[in-house]
Amino acid sequence: MNERDSFLRRLRSGLRGLPRSTVDDIIADYEGHFDAGRTAGRSEADVATALGDPARVARELRAEAGLRRWEDERSLAAALGVIVGVIGLATLDLFVVLPVLVGVASSLLAFLLVGIVTALGGGLILPFALITNLPGFTGDRLQAGLLSLGVLSGGAALTAACILFTIGLVNLLVRYGRAHYRLIAAGTGAPVRD
Amino acid sequence: MDSNLVQFKKGVLELCVLALLARSDSYGYDIASRLSAAIDMGEGTIYPLMRRMQKDGLVSTYLVESSSGPPRKYYRLTAGGRNNLTAQKAAWTDFTRAVAAILDPDLEKTS
Repeated sequence: MNERDSFLRRLRSGLRGLPRSTVDDIIADYEGHFDAGRTAGRSEADVATALGDPARVARELRAEAGLRRWEDERSLAAALGVIVGVIGLATLDLFVVLPVLVGVASSLLAFLLVGIVTALGGGLILPFALITNLPGFTGDRLQAGLLSLGVLSGGAALTAACILFTIGLVNLLVRYGRAHYRLIAAGTGAPVRD
Repeated sequence: MDSNLVQFKKGVLELCVLALLARSDSYGYDIASRLSAAIDMGEGTIYPLMRRMQKDGLVSTYLVESSSGPPRKYYRLTAGGRNNLTAQKAAWTDFTRAVAAILDPDLEKTS
């Protein structure tokens, strides 16, 4: 198998999971690169070496695609795409960032759960407060109702705050990823031609 | 390569591409080989960058029929790309001048 096919095959396999049209588009870019290299009189092996490691190029392209999707749609799947993509870049200082990230994410999850449970609890006792009264509660029905509403909205507020914080965190990750993947593949041992 | 150097180059790659395209429209291979000759970067990284710049609206593409082989994808600066270049160039010039003055105070005195 020649260098060109092997590069393109490894690139394609590294891009698995991206939309078909995107992959074809990317592959066409690199095919054109090989064609132009041949026209310029370079060997396929030469062009492939200068392009760098296809797996690494694929990681950068995937990370970029993940970041893009997050910017287009604020969905949980897109956020996960960013996280997986940035981790896929596997830069050295990620090992410093990762423990912090895991810590922040777990506390965030804990707060989120507390928020949801509180909101559910408030919502659950609200009908009882309005119809009868809360067991063991000494105030009148209005007080009980307001108390349940308070618990409900407090929980909702905490949940919302957690979600906002998560969005901010993912945005931060996007900036971190962007700062890292550009030109990461530089100096992969490509010989300097003159 | 020195990791400091990689970090420096990372920041200016987009500026270099904008500057090249401001002179004339160009295709991926041409941009990559000119940049890699000048600042010794991996040629493969140009395409992720071009895709991002295209989505950011800094460049647009068009196909040009080629006598040898399939049509070539050319990149052209958009109006947004031109504005971006002006802004980045000014920032770069200010910054490098300030750094040069700090690195070599004598230069500042004599000039």
